[in-house]
Amino acid sequence: MTKTFDGRVVAVDGVTLDIAAGEFFSLLGPSGCGKTTSLRMIAGFERPDSGRIHVGGRDITDVAVHKRDMGMVFQSYALFPHRTVAENVAFGLRMREIAKSEIERRVKAALAQVALTGLETRKPSQLSGGQQQRVALARALVVEPPVLLCDEPLGALDRKLRQQMQFELKELQRRLGVTLVFVTHDQEEALAMSDRIAVMNHGRVEQVGAPTEIYERPRTRFVADFIGEINILEEGGRARALRPEKIRLVADGARVSGTVETANFLGGSTLLRVRSGDGRSFLVRETHAGERASRRPGDVVGLAWSDSDAVLLEG
Amino acid sequence: MAVATRPSPIAWLLAPAALVFVLFFVLPFGVMAVMSVYSSNPVTNPNAILTTRYYERFALDTAGIFHDALWATLRIGFITTVVSLLIGYPLAHWMARMQSRLGHALVLMAVIAPMLTGIVVRTFAWMTILQDKGVINTLLIDWGVISKPLPLMYNEFGTVVALVHIYVPFMVLTLTGVIGRIDERLEQAARNLGAGRLRAFVEVTLPLSLPGILAGSLLVFALSISAYVTPSLMGGTDVLTLPMLIAQQVGTSFNPNFAAALGVILLAVSLVIVVAYNRILARLSGEQGLA
Repeated sequence: MTKTFDGRVVAVDGVTLDIAAGEFFSLLGPSGCGKTTSLRMIAGFERPDSGRIHVGGRDITDVAVHKRDMGMVFQSYALFPHRTVAENVAFGLRMREIAKSEIERRVKAALAQVALTGLETRKPSQLSGGQQQRVALARALVVEPPVLLCDEPLGALDRKLRQQMQFELKELQRRLGVTLVFVTHDQEEALAMSDRIAVMNHGRVEQVGAPTEIYERPRTRFVADFIGEINILEEGGRARALRPEKIRLVADGARVSGTVETANFLGGSTLLRVRSGDGRSFLVRETHAGERASRRPGDVVGLAWSDSDAVLLEG
Repeated sequence: MAVATRPSPIAWLLAPAALVFVLFFVLPFGVMAVMSVYSSNPVTNPNAILTTRYYERFALDTAGIFHDALWATLRIGFITTVVSLLIGYPLAHWMARMQSRLGHALVLMAVIAPMLTGIVVRTFAWMTILQDKGVINTLLIDWGVISKPLPLMYNEFGTVVALVHIYVPFMVLTLTGVIGRIDERLEQAARNLGAGRLRAFVEVTLPLSLPGILAGSLLVFALSISAYVTPSLMGGTDVLTLPMLIAQQVGTSFNPNFAAALGVILLAVSLVIVVAYNRILARLSGEQGLA
């Protein structure tokens, strides 16, 4: 599918995605890469200029937003500020004209599912960010949509809470078997949660694959660079990507030797910046499985890696 | 701590506003209230006595015009408010949701432009359109749709038309501000959850814009019940509002004390209505969690 704004800016350019039922699928990329526009096209808020959107064999390109039956969690949650938690969650059920007693039962169950029992009569403004996030999730899931769309749903939470919600969301998704399309610019989040990731840049999909595949075998320079730390080696006009943890510090048989410029202690590992004799800069990750690393700026080290770890990049 | 209780030096910036308020509202109203309970001007006439006769005169209404004038004033105010809301809300919603800055600026200009001409000019413009030999009647007669002119002015209809034209910008400007602050994604969330466009509007945007509806309506109501020029010109002999009656008492009947009493009555009645309206909508929006 393709989408242009103002007839000039191409927001999404020939994106084709095939998302499997029950999959946790992430659209990952920097801001302005077209991931949110793609999501909004799936939800029906934007219409693709060309291309079609199918769900379970049904073409929904021309189906109105409110008839698509898709759950959505907005970046800012978009909770109705004038309604209570219970009323927010009940909204989708009410629109589907479900009996009152049934609504009550399902709202209760949905709130229990996200551990918000007891907060039914609160207004969204009286909740913490994490609680609001759960209400948004419950509101989207209570109608049992086959597809759940999430637009950076964890972006506003602090790091600790975000990690906790990552686990919870993943667990919930697996339990309910819902197909989840997740938009994020946070590569760690995408790697941690997804079954598959589509890395997007400038409205195009650069690579689609499982997290390990995206991380270990990046296809383009952009993907290699966007996800994690990377060394790009230029050899005879071709570029290879080498992860910092694939570089070993060796005394003998070094491919390159250099001087440690900086050593950033990261807890589980230390990230070294090494300047080689010919002026190239290398990132090297030393993991602290055993004893603490003891490299300091100024130390001379030898670097080695195996050819198979240096991934050939396209273009 | 003494420092904390001392008023901010910036508070002095309120002085001009306070002065204007006292000079042009509190003082005149005080004079009017005093005048309304004296038989004549107590400053120039030493024989002036305290009396409730002007209020009694209004209450008894032996001439049978005072109560009608009050009702006409409130009726015109009410209809003008409702019509302004019906016209202004969709316009304000459209403006608030407009993506293009240029489009927004153009519509804003179109809304504000009429305010750059005086009320008298605009009222005269309506007279040329609505009178018996005006644009509408001439056209309809020429086309053979009607045989004699429709009574489009010198009545309450014409008065309301002109008042709506004058006061719609106030409604639009007030509402645009409030609607513009409602997150569009709330309506999108409602649609995503199964509400059609209209339903999403009724469930989300409308209740959230109640404070704007309240403010805009009060503004238009207050302005139209105190309007003098437009009802005088558009209403002809058919319409008599309280402000017109007050002008008559001052200008032609030379009875400023009765005029003062009428002024106090108009203010009291509109205060009661404003407070009641405020209460009702505040309760409504309180239920919505907006208070």
